[in-house]
Amino acid sequence: MTILSTKNLTKTYGKKTALSQINIEIPRGRIIGLLGPNGSGKSTFIKLAAGLLVPTDGEIIIAGEAPGVDTKAKVSYLSERTYLNDWMRVSEIIAFFEDFYEDFNRIKAENMLKDLNINPDDRLKTMSKGTKEKVQLILVMSRQAQLYLLDEPIGGVDPAARDYILNTIITNYKEDAAVIISTHLIADIEQILDDIIFINQGELVMSSSVDEIREAHNKSVDGLFREVFKC
Amino acid sequence: MKWYIDSDRPIYKQLVEQIELRIISGVYTPGDKLESVREMAMDAGVNPNTMQKALAELERMELVFAQRTSGRFITEDLKVIEEAKKNLAVQEIGAFLEKMKKLGMGRNEILALMEKIEEGEKEDDHIKH
Amino acid sequence: MLGKLIKHETRATSRIFLPLYGALLILTIFTKLALAFGAPDFFSDNVATNPVIEVVLGISFTLYFIAVVALSVMTLVMIIQRFYKNLFTDEGYLMFSLPVKTWELVLSKLLVGLIWSAVCTLMIVISFFILSLGSFTMMDLTQGISMAYTEFYSTFGTSLNVLIFEIMMLIVVSTISSILMIYVSIAIGQLFNQHRIVASFGAYIVITIALQIIGSILMAIFALGNLDAVISQGQDGEAMQMIHLLINGSTLCNVILCVGFYFATQYIMKNRLNLE
Repeated sequence: MTILSTKNLTKTYGKKTALSQINIEIPRGRIIGLLGPNGSGKSTFIKLAAGLLVPTDGEIIIAGEAPGVDTKAKVSYLSERTYLNDWMRVSEIIAFFEDFYEDFNRIKAENMLKDLNINPDDRLKTMSKGTKEKVQLILVMSRQAQLYLLDEPIGGVDPAARDYILNTIITNYKEDAAVIISTHLIADIEQILDDIIFINQGELVMSSSVDEIREAHNKSVDGLFREVFKC
Repeated sequence: MKWYIDSDRPIYKQLVEQIELRIISGVYTPGDKLESVREMAMDAGVNPNTMQKALAELERMELVFAQRTSGRFITEDLKVIEEAKKNLAVQEIGAFLEKMKKLGMGRNEILALMEKIEEGEKEDDHIKH
Repeated sequence: MLGKLIKHETRATSRIFLPLYGALLILTIFTKLALAFGAPDFFSDNVATNPVIEVVLGISFTLYFIAVVALSVMTLVMIIQRFYKNLFTDEGYLMFSLPVKTWELVLSKLLVGLIWSAVCTLMIVISFFILSLGSFTMMDLTQGISMAYTEFYSTFGTSLNVLIFEIMMLIVVSTISSILMIYVSIAIGQLFNQHRIVASFGAYIVITIALQIIGSILMAIFALGNLDAVISQGQDGEAMQMIHLLINGSTLCNVILCVGFYFATQYIMKNRLNLE
């Protein structure tokens, strides 16, 4: 059962083409790595799926609908940016998510905060960037969404937290949900991926399961990536 | 429990190998109940789908069987485990002999060296006690 | 969802406004008390005032005026900042991911901005009232008001209420159109890849100039069409008619602007969003 599909998905900004004719199908119950060099169009793809951008051409369908209010309720998006209001306390942003998202699980969020030693009464502006990113991740993963879009979830985080995050993604696994992880830190997340999508210069270069790659090329996805995208 | 995962090969195969080894070496005893797929996946740090694939393969190999409501169990059929043990040993020996051939060691040389090493180990044991 | 957005918006802005209103009230009361006890005859010419009190009052009044100005400026700044910062900077990633419609985002900010503008005006009026307490009695006030009504009626034949209502409508609608004009300028700025803030200011200036030009043309046409009323200099019913026409005409123009600005803002946010 497909959760996300695109047909000739294209996004251009004036003369610049960010994504061109992307055709993919993403089934539920899979963890997918969206991989590619910087500026390849990964973020653009994720934003299109999150409903933050409108396609220039082609279409993107999530759970049978074009991105809009209904899909946003089913999609949990972690942006690369820190998008939280600085003046709020952690407890307030939790209340905010609970207010707007029916599928938000407060208890799960509070447990994760405890695991990572984050005090709910702290104000976001007093936290380090790394801690804010952890809070954002907790908020996103505490939702029972059908599609999780994680844009660089382990980028600015220390190795121990990184393991915790990967672990959370595994534990959070649901058969009816898909997780798309956009990252360039492939070696760290390979183990948890089912499939990968390689994007370069706005185009789909490869779409395959990770095992197919390992068997066909006798190397890790990270190894293959380095080869394909050698500078 | 430590899992050794290498990204260069399909991970589910590595999981199959390591679980098989644990069954053969007795870490998992016949009839043992395995944890849920999710728990095992978490323990190994891998995708639940991958662990599921590994367990399915082990079921196919008849080392593991599933009871619909109660979960997965290690087989109690000792013959199957013996077979697996033998197959694994054969594989390891085969690989070992290959390597020795590359070193240019003949059969008698290998046996003599093996005895010597075993003597040395026995002596060490004596000294310790 | 709209209600929740309004709730959130109010919470985000009250933390700035309530302390300011508090400060204004305190300053007002302090000034009033200083006047009442230290210099009860401050406003009459004959009595000299204690120099110390004069200094205190001087400082107090200055602070008071600063507070009034700060409050007004802050209201405007907040309207701009809430729209820009919350929707078009990093926070926008959160807001636009919410399962809410674009118009709900715009409307929630518009309504809260409008309410704060009204409250700001109200607070200033109340503080003026407090300051001027005692220099007239309630009797004076009610007498003055009823006199205004009666004179108006005898001169123009209609109730003053109608005029007041029309003026209030104009004030409300033009406040809304001012806010929406700010919003659409910010939205237009977002169409550019670089120098978005400069582009927003540019858009605002261009729209202002365009409106001035159109406004002048309309006024000229209006005046020409009502020359007799202009000449008669307002002592009869025709002049009042013209004034009504002018006020309601402006209100209508503002409504048109509101609709135009609103849909333009909506369109840009829905179809041309490009968060950096």
